Amino acid sequence: MTMKTFPPLAEISDALVIERSRAAGEPEWLTEQRADAWRFFASAEPPYWRRTDLSKFKPEQVLAAADTAATSLYQEEDVTDQGVVFTTLAQAIHSHGDLIRRYLGAAIDSKRHKFLALNAALWQDGVFLYVPKHVNVELPLTAMFSMPIPGGAIAPRNLIILDDGASVTFVEEYHSVAASDQAFAAPVTEMFLGNDATLRFVAVQTWGEDVYHIGAQKVRVGRGASVEWAAVNLGARVQHIEAETALEGDGSRVEWVAATFAADHQNLLTAPWLRHIGAKTEAHMDFKTVVKDQSYTTFDGMIKIEHQSRATVSRLEEHALHLSPKARSDSIPGLMIDTNDVARAGHASTSGEVDEEQLFYMRSRGIPRDEAIHLIVMGFFEPVLDRIPNDALRQRMAEMIEAKI
Amino acid sequence: MNSDLVIKDLHVSVEEKEILKGVNLTVKAGTIHAIMGPNGSGKSTLAYTLMGHPGYIVTGGEAWYRGQNILELEPDERSKLGLFLAFQYPVAIPGVTVANFLRAAINAHRAEEGKDPKETAIPMAQFRKQLREQMTALGIDESFARRYLNEGFSGGEKKRIEILQMAMLEPSMAIMDETDSGLDIDALKIVAQGVNTLYERHPEMGVLVITHYQRLLNYIKPHFVSVLMDGRIVREGGPELALELEEKGYDFLREEVASA
Repeated sequence: MTMKTFPPLAEISDALVIERSRAAGEPEWLTEQRADAWRFFASAEPPYWRRTDLSKFKPEQVLAAADTAATSLYQEEDVTDQGVVFTTLAQAIHSHGDLIRRYLGAAIDSKRHKFLALNAALWQDGVFLYVPKHVNVELPLTAMFSMPIPGGAIAPRNLIILDDGASVTFVEEYHSVAASDQAFAAPVTEMFLGNDATLRFVAVQTWGEDVYHIGAQKVRVGRGASVEWAAVNLGARVQHIEAETALEGDGSRVEWVAATFAADHQNLLTAPWLRHIGAKTEAHMDFKTVVKDQSYTTFDGMIKIEHQSRATVSRLEEHALHLSPKARSDSIPGLMIDTNDVARAGHASTSGEVDEEQLFYMRSRGIPRDEAIHLIVMGFFEPVLDRIPNDALRQRMAEMIEAKI
Repeated sequence: MNSDLVIKDLHVSVEEKEILKGVNLTVKAGTIHAIMGPNGSGKSTLAYTLMGHPGYIVTGGEAWYRGQNILELEPDERSKLGLFLAFQYPVAIPGVTVANFLRAAINAHRAEEGKDPKETAIPMAQFRKQLREQMTALGIDESFARRYLNEGFSGGEKKRIEILQMAMLEPSMAIMDETDSGLDIDALKIVAQGVNTLYERHPEMGVLVITHYQRLLNYIKPHFVSVLMDGRIVREGGPELALELEEKGYDFLREEVASA
């Protein structure tokens, strides 16, 4: 695969960003947005993250994608006759400019840190998905992102909009087959759910071992709408994902599960934020982590129950399993309650090695120790894998996890 | 090859406290042998030690089965040799279904060194048929096959699943650790019937029934009864010994032992 690229990041100027945007025939508001984001990126210091190791990260010389060669879209049925739009964002900017203008950047602030600004300035890859009112898309729609050149950078921008009563399954997948030079992915996914809409969102990260993945995802959930969010994080050298579900509408809900498996020297961080804003919102989070070798993971979560919310139900489970003594997993769950009206809020957390009693029980049935550990780990991730609606993808994830044990 | 289980002068400590203080016991192939004893006498320690629980430290003695001192084997090797332990407190394995667990166990038993596990694995149709038959016989609802092993199961359900595992693995020496505890009389009858059916099908198998009460022995008739007290076998006899204990309690034996 070949792709066009920008010059090395260190050599890009806001003039070049403007020039490229105009050459692509983009609307003026987007050109300005890109230039503004670029100026922020160029002047801002790298963020200081205590638990994400960027000391060996040298993005100055990376070549960012200047076309959409890294984006592949898959759909199992033709959905255009239902009025569904599923195309690259770069293409949609010409056909659905007004809609995009309303939503682009309306969930995630590009100036939270410089890598989000980088995405806003340079995005080329990425998908635009729009599901009209009361349209129900049965089969999953998938956007797959690869790293087309060794040592390259991609900054996919995904915009998912579900109108009232719409429902869809959207899968975003980041993968590279072989190890490459230090590469960089800075994706941003913004999702908007109208009233009574239903989104099943599956986010899969299986990069090769030298990729730095620094991204953000956020879903804003309307009245009576619901999200099932399943994340699987297996790849990359360093992962830093800030994810947020904002339960804005009354009666909105999320079922949020994640499986993270780190090995070797991987450093994988997930920072899920959950905000209860509407009345009678409900959330269940179940985050599972396995660490092996000398890897290091962080769960840096926060549940915020806002002042105006009422009768909130919120439940967080997070569990970590250690397969080797040198591996480390940090868990920093936070809970901020700014209201007196909470129906139920609970939190359960465990961290430890494989349970000796479980091992003994399984071995007493003839199952050798290694295989018993395999079964325990697969069982540990089962509630997450179970949420992947696509059989082939679920099977592939299970195999990748198996291979990693 | 001797298929009796021969335990010689077995000493076992848990957290540096000696629990078994020289147990001598032979469970003959083809017999049902009950071990009775009051709480804290070391019954469960004996069961766990024979299966190889890492928390039970053998400080002396031997346990011979089929030409091997099993105390030197890993728990999975003991299982492949034909030993089985029905747990008093079966452990839950979240995310692993009863069916998948059983298939893994059966395939582990069928595995042969140097052979592709795919070659030796039980054919899926055969496995399903066996599982269905055994579940029906034990009055276990079919839906349990897809449930996660022991997760959220009641005490009685767990015990039935233990017997299901035993029936599927067909051990040659089964140890039942307080299988009657926490069971009502109906569940007890079903569990006992499961054991009896297996024994009738495999009359060469040995069964070591560990229990506090005579009650279970009304349904699983032992050939021999041994009484364990304070880490030693203090009395051996036939089924009449269990009845005597039922009538007189353990205290009379305790006094007898003390005065001996």
